[in-house]
Amino acid sequence: MITAGIDMGAAFAKMVILKDGKVIGKGISKVTLDPDEAVQTVQVAALKDAGIKPEEIERICVTGSGRKLFKNAHVSVTDVTADAAGTNYLDKTIKTVIDVGGEEARAMKVSEEGKVINFAVNDKCAAGAGAFIEAMTRALELPLADFAAYSLRSTQKIPINAQCTIFAESEVVTLINELVPREDICRSVHEGISERISSMAKRVGIEEKVGLIGGPANNHGLVAALKNSLGMEILVLPEPEYVSALGAALIAARKEEG
Amino acid sequence: MIENFKQVYEKRHEYAKDWKIKHPNQKMVGYMCTYFPEEIMYAAGVLPVRILGSHEPQNVTEPHVFGMFCPFSRDVLAQGLEGRYNYIDAVATAYPCMHLQQAFYSWVLHVTPKYFAVDMPNMVQSPHAFPFLVGLLEDFKGQVEEWVGKKIMDDDLRAAIAVYNEYRSLLRQVYETRKAPSPPLTGVEAMYMTAASQFMDKKDAIKLLKEVLEKELPGRSVKDDSASRLMMVGSEDDDIKFMQMVEGFNAVIVVDDHCTGSRYFWNQAVSNGSPIESIAKRYIDRPVCPQRDYPERKRLTHILNLARDWNVNGAIVIQQKFCDPHELDKVALLKFLRENGITTVYLEFDVTVPMGQFRIRVEAFLESLQEEGIL
Amino acid sequence: MEKKHKTAPIKLWEKAKELRLNVYRDIAEAKSKGKLLIGGGTESLIAVPTGFDHAYLGGEPYGASIAFMHRENPALYQQILEASDYAGYPRDLCAYMRSYIGSVLLDKYIFGGSFPKLDFNLQAGFCDTHCKWYQITSEIKGIPYFAIEMLPFQWEIEGESEKVKKLKIDYIANQILDAIEWMIKTTGRKFDDEKFIQGCKNEFESTSLWAKICTLNRAIPAPVDEKSMFSFYILAVLARPKQEVVEFYRELLAEVQERVDNQIAANPYERFRILSDSQPPWFGLDIYRLLDRYGVVSLGAHYTLGLSGGWEYSKEEDTWNPARTPQERGVLLKTREDAARALSEWWLKTGTVCRGVRYSGAGKNKRILDLADKWRANGVIIHLNRGCEGTGAGQMEIVAALLKKGIPTLTYEGNHADAREYDEARTISRLESFMETLGLKKIY
Repeated sequence: MITAGIDMGAAFAKMVILKDGKVIGKGISKVTLDPDEAVQTVQVAALKDAGIKPEEIERICVTGSGRKLFKNAHVSVTDVTADAAGTNYLDKTIKTVIDVGGEEARAMKVSEEGKVINFAVNDKCAAGAGAFIEAMTRALELPLADFAAYSLRSTQKIPINAQCTIFAESEVVTLINELVPREDICRSVHEGISERISSMAKRVGIEEKVGLIGGPANNHGLVAALKNSLGMEILVLPEPEYVSALGAALIAARKEEG
Repeated sequence: MIENFKQVYEKRHEYAKDWKIKHPNQKMVGYMCTYFPEEIMYAAGVLPVRILGSHEPQNVTEPHVFGMFCPFSRDVLAQGLEGRYNYIDAVATAYPCMHLQQAFYSWVLHVTPKYFAVDMPNMVQSPHAFPFLVGLLEDFKGQVEEWVGKKIMDDDLRAAIAVYNEYRSLLRQVYETRKAPSPPLTGVEAMYMTAASQFMDKKDAIKLLKEVLEKELPGRSVKDDSASRLMMVGSEDDDIKFMQMVEGFNAVIVVDDHCTGSRYFWNQAVSNGSPIESIAKRYIDRPVCPQRDYPERKRLTHILNLARDWNVNGAIVIQQKFCDPHELDKVALLKFLRENGITTVYLEFDVTVPMGQFRIRVEAFLESLQEEGIL
Repeated sequence: MEKKHKTAPIKLWEKAKELRLNVYRDIAEAKSKGKLLIGGGTESLIAVPTGFDHAYLGGEPYGASIAFMHRENPALYQQILEASDYAGYPRDLCAYMRSYIGSVLLDKYIFGGSFPKLDFNLQAGFCDTHCKWYQITSEIKGIPYFAIEMLPFQWEIEGESEKVKKLKIDYIANQILDAIEWMIKTTGRKFDDEKFIQGCKNEFESTSLWAKICTLNRAIPAPVDEKSMFSFYILAVLARPKQEVVEFYRELLAEVQERVDNQIAANPYERFRILSDSQPPWFGLDIYRLLDRYGVVSLGAHYTLGLSGGWEYSKEEDTWNPARTPQERGVLLKTREDAARALSEWWLKTGTVCRGVRYSGAGKNKRILDLADKWRANGVIIHLNRGCEGTGAGQMEIVAALLKKGIPTLTYEGNHADAREYDEARTISRLESFMETLGLKKIY
């Protein structure tokens, strides 16, 4: 059976194609003002990667904040369910999942069977995740890959406001104007976000093993800051940006869904 | 001497732990609000120490307090959750405001199970508030007696009142020196003294205050009379970095009305019947915080009097983000000050502040004072 | 999926609507009929001015009415809130109050015409906002106002002494008496002590009856859902000292009992029972319809069940039951002083919602856990209400306490009266996620 999972995120659309439970193709596309374009682009990319035609896909499950824009799904689930399913497939020993997205971060406590026991999402006063880092890369004139590397070279800790992104951004501007080394600013940004994320995650009661997913999980600087903030090891799942789409594809394969 | 206060401010926990070693048979209570009737605890041989935040980002309070509660209340709770006050024997408060009150009850749940909650009335202008508070404090005294295992005699209370009054009088004298055209201490230094003394045995604070008044301040001048004279008005604020930034300009903070500052120590307990009655009267009559300032607005006149008496050119109104009581008063306050010729700037604070943006605002504010020909 | 239970509309629906409209008609006609028009909070002592012929404009219900305007007249709604913003009142302040202030500043009454000319405001301070709300609006309008501090009892498990409780009863009772003297002096009108006594008795009975009605929701299936309850609880909020409200609740109690006896359900698919917490987002009540589709019935909240009081703690049973009125206990109220004292004691003993604004932690946790237990709730959905920090006090601790008991709990952020702070799509997404974690799918 060939199934597909589409994660319509705020910043990127991701698609994973499974055949009999094994990944055969993936695709990713930036979401612009025309969401249909992202849907088309991601499907083309994933189908090409899988080497199959669209009609070969038997069931599609869609997830993500933009899931209601995708009309042809057999099943629609929220990110929380998809995250848990994808993570559980990759590692059943993970008890706490943290998903860092473009606009939002969420934490889920999951059972061995991949069932969500409890979840929490960043509330308004502590929102902002990947998108904030991207904005800071522009402010600091650094590509994202360098942003992470710079932060890991920092030699001093400069705390910035951990709760409000708007205040945090103001503080970063101050640091730039004070000619604080970019390494230290990058680290401050990561630490600020990490504090928000771990603060939110503590609401579900963190239990090890902790798994990290979502595009920003590719940022080693952020991962280091998050480990430090939580005071524990975190496992970054392979290709973390696709885990939610993977979970959706797995759900599509469940006969009882839809 | 002022440096000693700074040391205590920066190493408040070391001071407290050291006190505990020196007084092994005495208890210590951490309290959260300046309305807490410290004298009663002090009379019982208990040292009250104020719990303030540490101005650091933290990630421990979100499971306990809604993110929309003020940063100060969450910063305070974080200190407890991080184990920084594990030396106190009890935690206490008088009714402060909804946010800090919730932080208090979370502290009781998760940090220090022994607690005292004094239901300080808000409507201090009602004639019924005083007898109510007297009764409440009698009951509170009984609770403290039970806790420490001995009766608190009237003489003990009188002695405690005397200590606190002496401390308040000395700090008032320090504040009086700031009326001088060239003040002998900065706002930062005054903040260190006021905040640190809230962490100290008042007897230690008295010793230091006397030395400061006798030996350090005479002949001292930190700014000349060309400096803008400012007051800080608002909620809790011990943001040293912000104040240092302000006083880095040709400006000096000469007086304040906020609860880490003058509201804490301003008035004395005047002898009025029994010692408990004297204490109750003191808390009824003290400079109020906003949610106690009704039906008549008395707070604004007090602030204006401070501004006039200390010859203030401008007021920085500091507002803890989400602080309801001060937000409720802020419109009336700004209007009143401006109508009475006090130029104001209004800034919203968090546990850390965007110094660059605030610097621009403060600089513009100081320039406007110059343009108004006030200087 | 087949319906599990029979259902039927509530017969007293129209009557409830009529009684609500009576309140607003009273306000509109007060001046022409020579009555006093009084403003103030409703979560307070609205029985206090019942010695006068009067109509009462309650600030919180008016704020909620403004919230309902969000869909009907979005331009006016926006104008009202922005008026308060531009005047400098920060947006994290109580949304009811900001809406009210905006309406006053614009001099626009949302039911038509200018803001009513109140004779005075009666402020009862049980939360930080309520301590200042009418000071602010009285200044804007230049009208007299009197304030009473409402300082609640602590929760029973805090072990507050009887001596302190008596001090609190006296403190509030004395202020009530002062308020009456002040009102007489300010208006020059005669205060009818008999009417005041009857107003207090009606308040006791109304709120006790409402508590009894809510208790019937312990039944499975629940006879009334929370969305319907909003149309009924509001009568206690607006007009509990009125005889017609007492009579209405007597009838409603009988009807709801009949529904229980005949197994008539609010939701014919009831398969999951939840409690909510805090005021709902008044412009977002569609979320209850969404829950309906999952076969989820909302039984009410501490707020809905007890905003106006009516619950007393039983030490023997270690729970809260509908309070016995002074009348039921054989207490005679002969004088103004008797009534003032009884009213003070009633509010202090039975007003658990206002108590929870000030006191959270173990005491408030216990109250909510007790509700979840007695109402046989399978889950709890908590509105983290950015518009009311009073109901927000202790909510995160309540979440932890519920989860510790194994009760699935969801939080969503919103605002009960400022629609700009409510993200409907995000809320729906959270609810859907919650339903998924519970293994529930939409039935229709």
